[in-house]
Amino acid sequence: MAEFSTSVKDAGDVNIIYLKGYLDAHTAPTLENTFSNLIDRERYSIVVNFKDLAYISSAGLGVFMAFIEKVRENKGDIKLSAMSDKVFNIFDLLGFPLLYEIFKTEDEAITKFKEIKKLENQ
Amino acid sequence: MKLDMVNLKGNLKFRTFIGFTVLLFAYKLFLYNPDSWIYILINELLVGITVVSLITYLMDLIHSRVVNPISLVMNIGILNAILFFLFILSGDILGRLFKIAAGSLQSQGILNNIIAFAYSYIILGSTVIVFLILRELYFLKQKKSVGLYFNTMTVFFVLASLGSFLKQIPDLDYIRDTFFIISILLIVVNSIKISWIAFIVKKEKISLLILSVLISILFVVNLVNSASQSSNSQILSAFSPVMSQFLTMLMIYGAIYFSILFFTTLFHIPTAEAFDRKAKEVTFLQYFSKLITQSTDFKELASTVTDITTKVSSAQAAWIAWKENDEYKTIAVKGIGYYDSNLLTDFIFKKKLYNEEGKSFFIDLKSLKNKPQLSENFCSVACEPLRTHDELKGYLMAAAKADNVFDEEDKNAMDTFSDYASLAIENYRLLEESIEKERMEKELDVAREIQRKILPAQSPILDKLNISSLFIPAFEVGGDYYDFFEIDKDKFGFVIADVSGKGISAAFIMAEIKGIFESLSKTIQSPKDILIKANEILKRTLDRKNFVSAAYGLINLKEETLSIARAGHCPILLIRNNVAESIRPSGIGLGLDFGPNFSDSLDEKIIKLEDNDILVLYTDGITEAKNSMLEDFGTKHFEEVLLENSGKNADEISGRVIGEVTLFSQNNPQHDDITLVILKWKQKLKNDGVQEWQNSAPQLKTQVM
Repeated sequence: MAEFSTSVKDAGDVNIIYLKGYLDAHTAPTLENTFSNLIDRERYSIVVNFKDLAYISSAGLGVFMAFIEKVRENKGDIKLSAMSDKVFNIFDLLGFPLLYEIFKTEDEAITKFKEIKKLENQ
Repeated sequence: MKLDMVNLKGNLKFRTFIGFTVLLFAYKLFLYNPDSWIYILINELLVGITVVSLITYLMDLIHSRVVNPISLVMNIGILNAILFFLFILSGDILGRLFKIAAGSLQSQGILNNIIAFAYSYIILGSTVIVFLILRELYFLKQKKSVGLYFNTMTVFFVLASLGSFLKQIPDLDYIRDTFFIISILLIVVNSIKISWIAFIVKKEKISLLILSVLISILFVVNLVNSASQSSNSQILSAFSPVMSQFLTMLMIYGAIYFSILFFTTLFHIPTAEAFDRKAKEVTFLQYFSKLITQSTDFKELASTVTDITTKVSSAQAAWIAWKENDEYKTIAVKGIGYYDSNLLTDFIFKKKLYNEEGKSFFIDLKSLKNKPQLSENFCSVACEPLRTHDELKGYLMAAAKADNVFDEEDKNAMDTFSDYASLAIENYRLLEESIEKERMEKELDVAREIQRKILPAQSPILDKLNISSLFIPAFEVGGDYYDFFEIDKDKFGFVIADVSGKGISAAFIMAEIKGIFESLSKTIQSPKDILIKANEILKRTLDRKNFVSAAYGLINLKEETLSIARAGHCPILLIRNNVAESIRPSGIGLGLDFGPNFSDSLDEKIIKLEDNDILVLYTDGITEAKNSMLEDFGTKHFEEVLLENSGKNADEISGRVIGEVTLFSQNNPQHDDITLVILKWKQKLKNDGVQEWQNSAPQLKTQVM
């Protein structure tokens, strides 16, 4: 049905995943692959940019749940950013804001990672 | 059983033959008197019967063999050679034998007879076999029923041979001559009808050309020998003049047949190649149709493709280089090892030895430097693309040990064949797809069946609560679940849940959820506690990526209160005084967090119910129903419809909502299950104590929108 694609950008220690299109049960494997690749490369500081995501279904939400444990075990995190109101509402209904940090912009999320890094170094 | 019968029959025929042989032998030895025509007649009769019995016995034997014209011709050649030597050496050998026989005076006559009998018998046997093989050749590949011609000819052979019996009466010579002439005419007519030549390949035709010359010469020589007044013909004539004459006739037939065969073959030689090609094409077509029908197993299909490739071209080896993730892998080898074929595949495709991907190309390995070290010395490689739906699937590879062995004809054949092979692969893919689709549909049928059985068959009927429940499954089962629990006469519980994901896995989780709520509702009162407990139970079974949104409510019918907790589910709508209020106590979805986060964040809300309050439970299948422009039906639209119809009873409201959703999303398929449960609170009963509305059975729509 609908199209979905991801792209990944390396920004220093942080990796940004850009989502585009419709994320549902059929397209979820694409995002799973993207996460798997990052984790294989031991990249655990991940920011997801939702700017171009039109729709997310429960199966799409499941992808984030599938990887969060592994990422946090390795002292990393998945931070969500730039959601449209509609997408945010779906996350919000399920209580995701309690489980994930959600930022207005990608930069805020990256800054947060950098701050944590600084604290660790001190 | 059948074979036994044939053997038995053969045995019987053989015994008959032996029987007559013994009879003939005894007759010859003891009774025969060559001066009396009666004795001669009986002799001919016996010989005739013996020959016929031998023919019937041998006919089955020869006919049951697989017929290859060249081997038949070879057999005739060998038999003729034997006959030739028998004729040539007869004078010498028989003379000596007779001399030895003469040594023992007493039994000279008997011994002479035995020697003559044996000699004649060998010739008789050979004659019969030559006759049968000629007959076999004659009938080979004849389409029309031409038996009549041959049988007539045989009859005239016999008649002409019987003529020799009339030798004593010179007046009747014309009869013999007439039969003889007619026989010759028939021989010529029958020899022209050689249709099997067209079916042999050029190589065989050339060898046939030489063979036919040799054999026709042999026939002529034998004919001269048998017709001359040499010792052998005398012995034969003494044995049976008719048979001797028959042998002559047969030799004439053979000589003429093979002379004509020689010329026919000669005329066929120039067109032999074209014939060969046509025949090849016909064979190819057979292969192709075999390919097309054989597409249930990919491995089998691939090996048939390579197998046929070696047959349609001059290649000794073939394999398929299958494209996977932009790399070529070797599958299905024929006439080459995996080691060599892998090396060649890697060499050709890693070095990109082609002008354009997806076109056929040929490689002369000899002219290339740093070619791979193969265990076998392949020199030429042909690569033909295999494509389905304009997508390159791989290459059909063919290799030969000779230089530049692939000529235009080979290229054309392989081009055509690779097209057919592509088609067969495409066929296979489509079949596979439809099997997969069928399997998925079966699976979804099971999931829908599970779901149908899990959901309540009927909405409960309560005095103060008018309940309507409606469920429309999506084609791919969405995992929606709702249920009612009549805990005791004052307490009524309800739950609505949506399992993440789709299909059979969602249906199984649904079943688990039902079990959990079914049992928890009996033991725990507080909605919050029930959800906390449910989350704990799910920790043991739920996959990391699966979760369930749920809302559990408990209505105290006596105290007229609703307590409700929500674990990530869509808010519950409360329609009161023409206002839609979203009841949304905080809480995260079941299975999202198994730590204290879940219970800490979970809230329980208590609401005092008022007359005509409408509680609306739903899943996102309603609010996320999409129109053709992929716009959502939306919460606002949903609330508007509810408010407009709030005066109606639960079933009517439900009907209106679904009507609106259906209308809105009519041009777009339904992607998620739709669940809508409406509870209408009725505090006061009418004066007569009868409810003004009646609960009806839930509207379980099973069609897929």
